[in-house]
Amino acid sequence: MNTTGNEHYISFQPENCTQCHGCEIACKAWRELEYGVQYRRVRNLWRGDYPEIRSFTLSLACLHCVEPACAAVCPSEAITKEAEGGVVTVDEALCTGCKLCAEACPFGVPQFGEEGVMQKCDLCHSHQPADCDPPCVDTCPGKALVFVKEGASEKRNAEQRLVRLISSAE
Amino acid sequence: MNFQQAQTIAQLNGEEAIPTVCGMCGPGGPGGGCGIYAFVRNGVFTRVAGMDECPVNKGAICAKGHAAPQWVYSADRLKYPLRRVGKKGEGKFERVSWEVAITHIAEVLTEQKALHGAKSLAILTPAKRAYSAYLQRFLTAHGSPNYGHSGICAMQRAFAFLYTLGDYPRPDYNNADLIIYWGRQPIYAGPVAPPARAFLAAKKRGAKIVAIKPSVEPDVGMADIWLPVRPGTDAALALAMLHVVIRENLIDHEFVEKWCYGFNQLRDHVLQFTPEWAESVCGVPVFQIEELARLYATTPRATIDLGNGVEHAPSANDAIRAIGILMAITGHLDRKGANIFIKPPANAPKDITLRDRYDRDLVEALVGPEFPPAFQPFLEGPSSAYYRILESVLTEKPYPIRGIIAPGTQPLVSTRGTKTVLAALEKLEFFVIVDVARTAEMAYADIVLPVATCYETDHPYHNVPGWLMAPNRVIEPLGPYKSTFEFFLDLGKAMGYGNDFWSGDIAAAMDDQLMPLGLDMAQLRQHPTGIVKQPPPQDYEKYQTVFNRRSPRLGNPPFLPQGKVALYNNSFEQEGFSPLPEWREPPESLSGTPELAGEYPLILSDYHTSRNYSASWQRNIPHLREIQPVPVLHIHPEAASAREISEHDWVRVSSPYGWMKVQAELYPGIRPDTVMILHGWWQGCSELGIEDYPIADGGANVNLMYSVDPEKAYDPLVTAMTSQTLVEVTKWRELQ
Repeated sequence: MNTTGNEHYISFQPENCTQCHGCEIACKAWRELEYGVQYRRVRNLWRGDYPEIRSFTLSLACLHCVEPACAAVCPSEAITKEAEGGVVTVDEALCTGCKLCAEACPFGVPQFGEEGVMQKCDLCHSHQPADCDPPCVDTCPGKALVFVKEGASEKRNAEQRLVRLISSAE
Repeated sequence: MNFQQAQTIAQLNGEEAIPTVCGMCGPGGPGGGCGIYAFVRNGVFTRVAGMDECPVNKGAICAKGHAAPQWVYSADRLKYPLRRVGKKGEGKFERVSWEVAITHIAEVLTEQKALHGAKSLAILTPAKRAYSAYLQRFLTAHGSPNYGHSGICAMQRAFAFLYTLGDYPRPDYNNADLIIYWGRQPIYAGPVAPPARAFLAAKKRGAKIVAIKPSVEPDVGMADIWLPVRPGTDAALALAMLHVVIRENLIDHEFVEKWCYGFNQLRDHVLQFTPEWAESVCGVPVFQIEELARLYATTPRATIDLGNGVEHAPSANDAIRAIGILMAITGHLDRKGANIFIKPPANAPKDITLRDRYDRDLVEALVGPEFPPAFQPFLEGPSSAYYRILESVLTEKPYPIRGIIAPGTQPLVSTRGTKTVLAALEKLEFFVIVDVARTAEMAYADIVLPVATCYETDHPYHNVPGWLMAPNRVIEPLGPYKSTFEFFLDLGKAMGYGNDFWSGDIAAAMDDQLMPLGLDMAQLRQHPTGIVKQPPPQDYEKYQTVFNRRSPRLGNPPFLPQGKVALYNNSFEQEGFSPLPEWREPPESLSGTPELAGEYPLILSDYHTSRNYSASWQRNIPHLREIQPVPVLHIHPEAASAREISEHDWVRVSSPYGWMKVQAELYPGIRPDTVMILHGWWQGCSELGIEDYPIADGGANVNLMYSVDPEKAYDPLVTAMTSQTLVEVTKWRELQ
């Protein structure tokens, strides 16, 4: 475990994102996701009005929040925040597919495929060797996605930055 | 990731990691040239990672690259060679072997050559592909000049620049303080390629970014200044910028004096193109035109990255010349941070286009010269305009093309004038399709040959700036496939041109071409991630050399007769074209045909590139189709609400020439007088339950919306075809 903190997540720097969608499809291909299910989404957001209008991009997957709202509302305790790295994981055997987590998540992260149980980004913990970045990070041409390990307060700040970014769009 | 990491991951998952070259932005042959690791599990191609060692993509890979396995295993893959048994257009075929198909083609082409001459054959080319030289080689060996180039891509810029400046002025991204992206898509055109990285690096170091195009794409979203120009009016904007820099004396007198020809004529000529006039044409406010002209002229390290967007208008050549002239007279040529001339590499693979056989007879036989015959051959050899080849089938002027081979290109969705193309395909005597997946016009083919994807072959060698690589076969071909390269070798041999086609031996073809580089394929393959080549150091102000460069025209006269930048162009004047850049309206426009604006009040144009598709390919790939499932029309919310159109409503878009049924996307980042759509829509995606769209009216094929009037729809010098018209958009109602 990293000694500088115990929160792992993938941070997003909008100024480095060219909206190529490489991360979105890297995730779909590497995790062999079914049609309609997305662990990572790339969205175009607008700010201002024509002709003083600009756009910016959001590449969004599970933030593995310090206090995950999804876990708090889960009636079957299927969602856990792990001690190591703070990764938020789903126990598919316990999930009943009630979708309360989807309502609770401020970022629209929880996905439900054919089987009806919640699935989402798990940072590819179980899929990648230790010295390799998750495929979405590995494929990013502008290093807009960075795998970071830091303390809970920095992590909370990152969550707030994302909330502000989303709410700044019109 | 690097090779070692790829191998570690592969081992962890019971896979093999195979270093090779991505082929997704040049289907049927490598295009962008990014290095990848292809992962294979039990003989199945599963996924892709970018190769750190490749200097092109440096470990990144885009959405298309990641979707490669779905392309290879698509339900739309052609299964085996086919020969038509029903009527044209009926789509009834019998299965034949590769050999029978090749023999059949050779027999028909031999007969057509005997009866009508070799020129009766044309080969339509997609954008530049690794196999393009094989098309040219085959045509020259056969005796036909009719290489059918699209007339809307790259060569239009090259032609105007070379005959104005002697070379293509490349943007010096890495040293510029100001970068003007003009009709350019630096991201979608290669999201992991050097220009996209340079865009981000320029932003990071604080360079000012200007974007000139009709709508806000991600690059505009990140720009400092946006000039929302009306589609097809770049020439008007450029001429007004010339007016401003000359009027305000913002020019480099020393350079103009020493290295430019015809400044006085230019000065007098651009007096008429005031910013006020330009605003009425291009829709960019006077203050923005003046400010950009001043900013560019007074920023020493300022560069212009001119994109494909300017090549789709009747004054395309004028726009490009005017922009080249603007670079020259403001002192922005071949200086640090400006537009620079790149020296050709010391060693290049052998040229295989047989250009030593080009002669007057060959050039005069062109059915529809892309550039005037006096300027043929150009860089890629002699060429006819793609659309004019098809048109000749109907008009029989100057003579009818009787045989067409279409390798990796779809005439019904790749060129303008869909209705003409459809009629031509119905009448065409012999039509051969060579492709990976089914195409829009397959029902009209006499022979269909299915080719291997680049993941199923071990050639060609791959030579791009900075990188030389031997690709590796990732999986065995999924059917009786050969590559497009092998198609031309086999056909060449069957036609009796074996001496020109390495007796049909693809390995010999590769080794022969690599010889000038001092190695063969086997030796190159010893470098699993290729050979990285350092670019030669850049030196500047090479005017004496560049301005005296010889052209590829017969006899090789220099591009610039005076050895100076052609502000006033004698070469064009001698052939009856304007010596100075002019303005020509698109066939229909708000400023040129205001009488149409009552019935058709909005400007329509189309996007050439997208983040997830290569031209008209790849709509059948589920991963990519999910990003953009239906054809959408970008329409400003005000224009939409005036028509009671809401987000995701289906709409009818009608021009004087045809109509489409597409979905509205309320898009705040587009000119309110303009609507735009991506071109190339027809193909469904069976995996997602999406059906094909009609090719003709009522589908989403934007090509049929434009004029193809020979008097109005073309740039007279470079055959650029218009992609602007006027339309009305109405909410779709059933029983309409």
